[in-house]
Amino acid sequence: MSAELALLGVLATPVLQALLVLALQRPPGLRDVVHIVGALITALCALRLVGAAAEQESVRLVLAQPLPNVGLAFVVEPLGALAAAALSGLGVLHAVHAAGMVRATQEKAPARLMAFIALAGAATMAVAFSANLFTFFVAYQALTLAVFPLVAHRGDEEARRAGRTFLATLLTASMGLFLPAMIWTYAIAGALDFQPGGMLAGKVDIPTANILLVLFVLGLAMAAMPPLHRWLPESSRAPDPALVTIQGLAIIPAGGIGVIKVAAFVFGPALIEARLASLALIGLAGVGMCVAALIALSRRDLRERLAYSCMAQSLAVVMGALVALPMGLFAAALQIVALACAATTLSMAVGTSAAITTRRNVEDYVGLGRVMPWTFAGFALASASMIGMPPFSGAWAKLWLITALGAPAGGLMWAAALVGVAAVLTFAHLGPLAASALSGKAPTDAFKRPDGASILLAAPVILGAAATLSLLVLADSLARFLSPIWNSAP
Amino acid sequence: MTAALDLMRTHAALLPLIIAMVGAALAMLCPPRLSWGLATIAALLCAFVTADTTVRVLIAAAPLWSVAEGVPLLADGIGLFASPLMAAVAALALAASGAVLSDIERRTWPLAMALVLCQLFGWLGALAARDLAGVFVAIETAWLASVALLAFSDGRTALGGALRMLGAGGVGSALFLCGVGIFYRSVGTLELSAIATAHIESADAAALGAGLMLLGVALKAGVAPLHDWMGGAFTRPGGPAALVLGTVGVIGALAVIVRLAGYVATSPTIGEGVSIALAVLGGASVVIGSVQAVGAHNLTRLAAYAGAAQAGGILLCVALGSPAGFAAALVQLTALAAAALALFGGAAAGGVQSLEHLDGLGRRAPLAGAAIMSGAISLMGAPLTLGFLGRWRLVEAGVGAGWWWAAGAVIFASLAGVFYGGRLIERLYFRRAGDLFHGPNDAWRWALAPMLAASIVAIAFGVSPALLLTAADSAGALMLGGLP
Repeated sequence: MSAELALLGVLATPVLQALLVLALQRPPGLRDVVHIVGALITALCALRLVGAAAEQESVRLVLAQPLPNVGLAFVVEPLGALAAAALSGLGVLHAVHAAGMVRATQEKAPARLMAFIALAGAATMAVAFSANLFTFFVAYQALTLAVFPLVAHRGDEEARRAGRTFLATLLTASMGLFLPAMIWTYAIAGALDFQPGGMLAGKVDIPTANILLVLFVLGLAMAAMPPLHRWLPESSRAPDPALVTIQGLAIIPAGGIGVIKVAAFVFGPALIEARLASLALIGLAGVGMCVAALIALSRRDLRERLAYSCMAQSLAVVMGALVALPMGLFAAALQIVALACAATTLSMAVGTSAAITTRRNVEDYVGLGRVMPWTFAGFALASASMIGMPPFSGAWAKLWLITALGAPAGGLMWAAALVGVAAVLTFAHLGPLAASALSGKAPTDAFKRPDGASILLAAPVILGAAATLSLLVLADSLARFLSPIWNSAP
Repeated sequence: MTAALDLMRTHAALLPLIIAMVGAALAMLCPPRLSWGLATIAALLCAFVTADTTVRVLIAAAPLWSVAEGVPLLADGIGLFASPLMAAVAALALAASGAVLSDIERRTWPLAMALVLCQLFGWLGALAARDLAGVFVAIETAWLASVALLAFSDGRTALGGALRMLGAGGVGSALFLCGVGIFYRSVGTLELSAIATAHIESADAAALGAGLMLLGVALKAGVAPLHDWMGGAFTRPGGPAALVLGTVGVIGALAVIVRLAGYVATSPTIGEGVSIALAVLGGASVVIGSVQAVGAHNLTRLAAYAGAAQAGGILLCVALGSPAGFAAALVQLTALAAAALALFGGAAAGGVQSLEHLDGLGRRAPLAGAAIMSGAISLMGAPLTLGFLGRWRLVEAGVGAGWWWAAGAVIFASLAGVFYGGRLIERLYFRRAGDLFHGPNDAWRWALAPMLAASIVAIAFGVSPALLLTAADSAGALMLGGLP
């Protein structure tokens, strides 16, 4: 398969998958097979693109020319290929898990749920492979619109309110902050194409660079930068399969990819001109990490606790991208992979647990690991990765992040300390929970489904947990693979 | 066939006007349903004739013809671009009105159809008139036809709305006439083509005259804050009056503003003053229209207020006074036409008055729901829609001229669009139907389909707008660089 075809496949397959899922709603088995096979094809296409990026093949796809000198274009580069491969690979596990969840919970509109999950996947792939700011903006908006029905899926007043908050926050930030930044960049650089080395390098003065950086980073509200993070806890009451998409596979990773693309391909060396803004944003992200982890500790509902926990992890991506060092960019890229693996696994485990036991509160988790050992083993491993315990993915990402921040060139020991504090607080809100679930006395009351979790619900959790070990063996290779991104970075 | 085509092209300037007038006369004489068919065909013929000229001149770059001696018409870039747009909008609105004619008494259908064609005649005439007197007469013809159409709708509310329109139109006409008088005294000519080269005795007075003329037409276009009459006119959702007035009426008046501005805002002597006036009015319309649209509880009013915000964007474009600005205005005008067709058509198809009637409409009437959603996302300025393209062109032209605040106004309009557009989409697809279906439910409801489908397709043109951009750029360049 040619790389161009694979690029088209990675973008078009999820759309086709969504249409087929809607068209083939019955029998449910056929619908689920279509959903899983679609996710699998997308992942295979993404893997092919990783090969193309490793070979430094030039792969470009222009779908339309909506503006005179700006195309709706996609390009294969290492960051996009890595993110796409990780997210689409986890997407296969999620597809299997979603098929199990809609059966276990007797979901009323399973096809709609699966279709919008697939569409969100397509938009995330488009974000990852976007070749210019305009395409990124289009894909970002498409992702917002695709996930909105997932947030409002239940259709009750609470879900609608969450949907409104979600839509209003993300669209307002992108149109009110990101769009002006994009226009301003166009006025300065005369183009919108992402360039290794930065399209603004050597073209922007210090005040403009600082303002632009703030507009870009806050405009990417998917990264959950405070104060534009309310959508994340608000959307935590969405159905469990939707939560996996929001927290692990689409929204938060897309925000992280956006921040890295802005830092590496829009600013590049010009990030040094924006030193004041980047320091302020790193400070905001660092404090935000700690506060989010602290709030997570206070939440009894697992979905809310995970939402704040994911927010803290997402802010680590922002810190890495803005530190203006190659190792910071590397840490940010690793953090996206680590976050995706851990958040997906945790969300799936929480969903499985809720589907089988209807339990969602922290105090009800005691001893659940005794009756659902596979699910809670996965939960524990993913928690360890989220905390940053070696040898799991989160540890390597945080290690590189702390090294980048604390290095003499970075000179931000205080920021490194904030990352450390956030890790301790993450341990506080996830560690004891996993431990009590595994070591507590097994509950004796009857579950909703006394026969336990089906393989469709348990296997993805275990495989997702295994994926959190990926960076242990891949970190070195990834450093070489991603090096074209920062070879021209500051 | 070729000879007929040649004959048509020889009289291309006059032919649409004749078709519209003769069509109106014939529609008056026909039985009710036949009058609808005849009026629609007449409007389609107008669209064909004007589109043929536009394609030849603006896209194939054929030379601009000279109008036969004795006929007081003048062909220019804006007129060439806007005429087929107007005629197409009128044809779609007329076709769609077949579904909602039952809203008015059957015996008045022929008259209503004739009035719509009179409106088309008026706006096409104003887009082709050679002098300001001709523009005035044509605008009045169109406006009085609109008022009469509204007055024929059922109910006292419609009559009240028509009276408000009549009053507002009277003020607009007075402003326009005063403006013409002052302008003539300072410039010494009413010929549009002579303004650029005329010796102007008093620049301030001439600018005042031009400003009053534009203000008079802006009042009829529903530019905020001069749009008070709209509240009364857009109370009933389903009838042909709201459908035609919200599409043909508003687009026609805005096109005439763009054309007039093409002559007065580019004049070296008075251009600056006129530009400032247009920019102030445009900025105010963007802000006021957007805020009112956010607070609206009635779909047709929401569409009208959102249209006022878009109209403000068009005024900002023409205030730039550059070919790029005029091209941007024409793209925005096209985007507004598509959004208006989608929203007013969707409202008529679903019988939507209050926004609550939208609940679950996406499932009950999928095409109407899709049209309203398309209109909403275009008004938001979502990427890959015609609405985004129009705003992008304004920002591009504005930033090029150093008007950063214009970019700010556009972003404000988009942000407001997120709120009111998002509200529409949420009600369409994420709420359960709480009431019975209010729209037309007989076979004639399919008459709305072409309008709804065309609006969706037009909005989707934002994906690949090369043809539209070429035509708009040529029109802008022809207006400013190729004055006959």
